[in-house]
Amino acid sequence: MSTKNDILSNIRRHTGQTYDMPVIEPAAIQYPDAVARFAEVIKSVGGSAIELQEGEDINERIISLYPEAATIASNLPGIRIATINPDEVETPHQLNGTALAVVQGEVGVAENGCVWIPQNVKEKAVYFIAEYLIILLDKNKIVSNMHEAYRKIRFNDNGFGVFISGPSKTADIEQALVVGAHGAKGVVVLLTT
Amino acid sequence: MNAKHSEAAARFIQNRALEEWHNETLFLVRKKRDSQAITLPEWEQLRQLASQIKMHTITHLDKYLEQFALRAEANGAIVHWAKDAREHNEIIHALLRERQVGKLVKSKSMLTEECHLNPYLISKGIEVVESDLGERILQLMNKPPSHIVMPAIHIKRQEVGKLFEEKLHTEKGNSHPDYLAHAARLHLRNEFLTAAAALTGANFGVAATGDVVVCTNEGNADMGTSFPKLHIVSMGIEKVTPDYQALSVFIRLLARSATGQPATAYTSHYRKPRKGCEMHIILVDNGRSDIIGNPDHIQALKCIRCAACMNTCPVYRRSGGYSYTYFIPGPIGINLGMLKSPGEYAGNVSACSLCYSCNNVCPAQIDLADQIYKWRQQLDSLGKADRTKKLISGGLKYIFTRPGLYNTALRLAPIINKSPRFLIYNNLDAWGKGRELPAFAKESFTQMWKKGKIKQHP
Repeated sequence: MSTKNDILSNIRRHTGQTYDMPVIEPAAIQYPDAVARFAEVIKSVGGSAIELQEGEDINERIISLYPEAATIASNLPGIRIATINPDEVETPHQLNGTALAVVQGEVGVAENGCVWIPQNVKEKAVYFIAEYLIILLDKNKIVSNMHEAYRKIRFNDNGFGVFISGPSKTADIEQALVVGAHGAKGVVVLLTT
Repeated sequence: MNAKHSEAAARFIQNRALEEWHNETLFLVRKKRDSQAITLPEWEQLRQLASQIKMHTITHLDKYLEQFALRAEANGAIVHWAKDAREHNEIIHALLRERQVGKLVKSKSMLTEECHLNPYLISKGIEVVESDLGERILQLMNKPPSHIVMPAIHIKRQEVGKLFEEKLHTEKGNSHPDYLAHAARLHLRNEFLTAAAALTGANFGVAATGDVVVCTNEGNADMGTSFPKLHIVSMGIEKVTPDYQALSVFIRLLARSATGQPATAYTSHYRKPRKGCEMHIILVDNGRSDIIGNPDHIQALKCIRCAACMNTCPVYRRSGGYSYTYFIPGPIGINLGMLKSPGEYAGNVSACSLCYSCNNVCPAQIDLADQIYKWRQQLDSLGKADRTKKLISGGLKYIFTRPGLYNTALRLAPIINKSPRFLIYNNLDAWGKGRELPAFAKESFTQMWKKGKIKQHP
């Protein structure tokens, strides 16, 4: 407690001239076709965005994208092909070896390909440990920029959320880009309506 | 240690090929930053907003820190306060000891470098595993980072290949980055699953919500925090930001400035501990609250650690991170080092050509070059002025304040054109190393003007 008071009083003692908070309303970029821009940016960061056609079965689409995925983790009601329900694992460690995870995104951002995923499974590990990741996203929930996104994002009781923009990557060896550092080696955003 | 930057840089540039590669690679990152910046017409407005938000936050830091701590604790995290590196390290050690943690997995944190956490914990018998690929490579090599975003930028793939052969038993002679990164993925996957605690830094702490925000491309912070019961966050007190609208400005700037990406692959928001787990946040001062009272250097606290100033700096690009004596190199490191200990780090202030490129790329508009200039003015009073330069400056002042003497000197200057090389290019003349003096003109401008040789354009 005394350390806290020492730090705060040292801050107060040293604070001289103060500055006002600016009004944060930049003339932020708006894309005429935010969905198209989102798909373009996702591609540039190593992922892809695919629109689900009307009447198309989502499970069949996923199988056609990842025909070899032996273990599929999902707690989403429409995903019949799931082999593991991440809500039913005892420990997150049991998710190791997951080939594909299918998860729900809530907000897409056209300027940077980010998708907001509030943790809506028991163990957040599923977002990162799967070899490949499919994010379902309602294409009407794509906004142009991060200012809009931060006004829209919500948490649930799990208290964790993440913006994911494409697959995991590293360039730590001679700046050579390698996709699939620790998280997903590939990310597909399936756009629904 | 007060080794001169130029002496260390001379060692770096002995390897011409590496110097060339280092220079070009980092400038490519700078150009990627530019190509991202031009996609946003509001880019300069964002930089100005970032600067204004930071100045506001730094000068109301007590209020925002209290708000952040209150919110974080309401969310179920436990907040600790550390005055200095010693307190920070002791808090972490106590947390680990009380829970009998044998292995800690870390994601990249410059603050823990600043506090020398790893050697401290290792001395207490705790196994510390860095999980960012670059940091892991350096940890296995027992070397410090040479860049704050691309820590192993000075290491060649063959060195990594050899290292992994020895430590991770990879194929002999295979130094393909894909292969090596995959080997590291398998190796670190096992560390993530078996560590009893995870430590992350914090890119931002949001006062309004209590969120800790961590940005990575690899997903190592996310993997690290997904399994163990304990998550420790080391956060400098200047990382607090008022709310989500302020945060949105920084998130838009950070990855674009750092690596020329539109966003990092993961921007993670840790609001609550995982169910049945603990989250501890350590708010670290370690000299930051003193900087608030230093009007010449307060802007150093605006830094969001993107490293754009390093990538653009011609001196950094051609001399490498190890040529600086402070653990953060480049323009921001020169200033932070001087704020930490001028006596120890004064040798770095010469590593600047005052080209001001850093000021122009900094996403928070820190007056980096102005600050370096100000430090230089203080070198004499710190007893750190270069004696040769001081002598030359004194001599030049004597000449410049005496017009007669100055004109005579100028008239005699062409003699140098015909002087023997050893008189001009020797150890007393640092300028003449690696470059040629231009020839002095036969007549000075003043002489030509007086003779009417200068034609004025109408």
